[in-house]
Amino acid sequence: MSYIRESVPSHSMKRQTLSNVLGMKKIDRESRETVGAITSSDTRISCRNVNVFYGEKQAINDLSLDIGNNEVISFIGPSGCGKSTFLRTLNRMNDTIPSCKVEGEIKIDDKDIYHRDMDVVPLRAQVGMVFQKPNPFPKSIYDNVAYGPRIHGLAVNKTELDEIVQNSLIKAGLWEEVKDRLDEPGTGLSGGQQQRLCIARTIAVNPEVILMDEPCSALDPIATAKIEQLIAELKERFTIVIVTHSMQQAARVSQRTAYFHMGHLIEVGDTNQIFTNPVHPLTEDYITGRFG
Amino acid sequence: MNNPATSADLRADNKASTFDIVQKSLAKRRSAERRFKAYGLTGIMLGLMFLLVLFTSIIGKGYTAFVQTQVKLDIYFDAEWLDPEHGGDDSLAKADYNGLIKKSLSTAFPEVTERRDKRDLYAMVSSGAGFLLREMVVTDKSLLGKTVPVWLPADDDIDMLMKGHIDREQDQANRRVNDKQLAWIDRLSQEARIEKHFNALFFTAGDSREPEMAGIRGALMGSLLTLIGTFLLSFPIGVATAVYLEEFAPINKFTDFIEVNINNLAAVPSIVFGLLGLAMFINFFGLPRSTPIIGCLVLTLMTLPTIIIAGRASLKSVPPSIREAALGMGASKLQTITHHVLPLAMPGMMTGSIIGMARALGETAPLLMIGMVAFIVDVPTSFTQPSTVLPVQIYLWADSPERAFVERTSAAIMVLLFFLISMNGLAVYLRRRYERRW
Repeated sequence: MSYIRESVPSHSMKRQTLSNVLGMKKIDRESRETVGAITSSDTRISCRNVNVFYGEKQAINDLSLDIGNNEVISFIGPSGCGKSTFLRTLNRMNDTIPSCKVEGEIKIDDKDIYHRDMDVVPLRAQVGMVFQKPNPFPKSIYDNVAYGPRIHGLAVNKTELDEIVQNSLIKAGLWEEVKDRLDEPGTGLSGGQQQRLCIARTIAVNPEVILMDEPCSALDPIATAKIEQLIAELKERFTIVIVTHSMQQAARVSQRTAYFHMGHLIEVGDTNQIFTNPVHPLTEDYITGRFG
Repeated sequence: MNNPATSADLRADNKASTFDIVQKSLAKRRSAERRFKAYGLTGIMLGLMFLLVLFTSIIGKGYTAFVQTQVKLDIYFDAEWLDPEHGGDDSLAKADYNGLIKKSLSTAFPEVTERRDKRDLYAMVSSGAGFLLREMVVTDKSLLGKTVPVWLPADDDIDMLMKGHIDREQDQANRRVNDKQLAWIDRLSQEARIEKHFNALFFTAGDSREPEMAGIRGALMGSLLTLIGTFLLSFPIGVATAVYLEEFAPINKFTDFIEVNINNLAAVPSIVFGLLGLAMFINFFGLPRSTPIIGCLVLTLMTLPTIIIAGRASLKSVPPSIREAALGMGASKLQTITHHVLPLAMPGMMTGSIIGMARALGETAPLLMIGMVAFIVDVPTSFTQPSTVLPVQIYLWADSPERAFVERTSAAIMVLLFFLISMNGLAVYLRRRYERRW
């Protein structure tokens, strides 16, 4: 591999010396071994030795990680590090890319989601997803939220469906803003409202895990604050995996943080620990803003 | 990184700031812009001018076809003459109604006694006028035994004279209306017995060898039946093919092969489809020739590539975020397509289909090959009756020697254009409405 170099830059030398002085275990900056506890006490999703390829190109290298029940875990890392790719393997959204190939084992509640008999439809109902750009259907607000329950047959009658829609919108903190205009198109809402509508749509099918792929990157700070507050409320009931480019956001919303670099999971640990006392030199470089 | 010292040196050397340099080239840039705009405007103006010339020519030639010279005759519905043996409906249907017209003319012009003059006199009223009288009697038997004033279509030569297409000053030998006929016409118009009325026959009759009796109803019905059939066949097949190729087909050599061939088919001359229709549908499957069913099958072959290509383009233009959203909700592939992708792509697909339909409406060549070019008098009412279509009717009339068919050709073109424009209008309206829902 090309990144194996004999000579080590001088500033890195200094830090290693410093680490030695502090009595910490010295980690080579070129090491791609995951640092930190990949296991979780109350495991919901368990990934072992996951490799993802786009054609010839390997996007994820031998990744192992457990995600616990009702925890918020954030994936951080520079662009193209594979964090979104890994997120999308968790509900098999990568299936839509013909050249994408996934190896290894991903289990949700001890069910292998890449098993031949596993159908993506129940999987995606169980593992919901919120995308980077708010993407409400060009339908009414009501129909947006009611879509999932309708296709999965979660409501037996109109009253029940109304209830699901209302509850989902309340949980997404959007009810007060839209209750008088449920018939209006969802695309007519503001960006932040659209993203909360997408979250309401996702939680309407009552999933167990919610994947969020940079949910705030297209939003202004006020809308972002609302979404973050919403995540804090949702973690009571859902396991949330969030990919973010904002380290502040990761620090604010998540309990655990995983740092990705060039398709490798470099370090995973308690959010506090990652941001205050990173172990791997690459993690430190990233969170101190040396690159990324 | 640029060196500040170097750029300062440069400036000192040239003694010209960027602003000045830009200023110099500005006039040139602006004039290039103006020239480009002028070219565009000229192009549009030329286009509009040609359109204007086309419309003036067609409307100028064709508007007179919507009126028809008619002669008012007092017709005595002589029961003894029409039905001497009291045979009832059957003999009434076969009776000599032209005789009634001749009698009436003789009464109106008692001074005409010579055989040749009489023939000229009788020739002033359309030879098809008897059929109109028969229609009247068959629908209303109480007319028998009465004398009723009836407006009957004049012969096409008289009609042309009344519309000013025949020069009165011309030498009699070169004129299709002779001097005696001119005198009779003048007498009739003094008595207000010859007038131009709205030409209802043009819209209610089928084709005829007599221009004054010819109408576009048959061709219009033929076109309508053919188009309905074409739409019913090509739209569902085209949309389904586009969806399959765009969303379901595996990416392999075979799919590529199909794609290339669909694109090639869109460029095949339409007469080839006519030959294919002749060989396949008529000779092999033995379907009745000259009928709308063959017409719509052939036109379906012709329009399918257009619809498929337009359909695929509009499916491609649906934002991937919508697909992701639906798939992420756990919708199956077919649900994603039918609930989200297809409704969003529908306006584009409809545009494509309407372009295809408009082409099918104006298509002549393939229909010539399958016998839809026949002279058909009866108005077709089903898919299996022989019929012709509007553009073929125009072609047939344009080929006819009678002067009166010239204006009818233009009038038929006007009707065809009217239908094309209203089809497009309807398409735009439907598309707008459809889009508003989303």
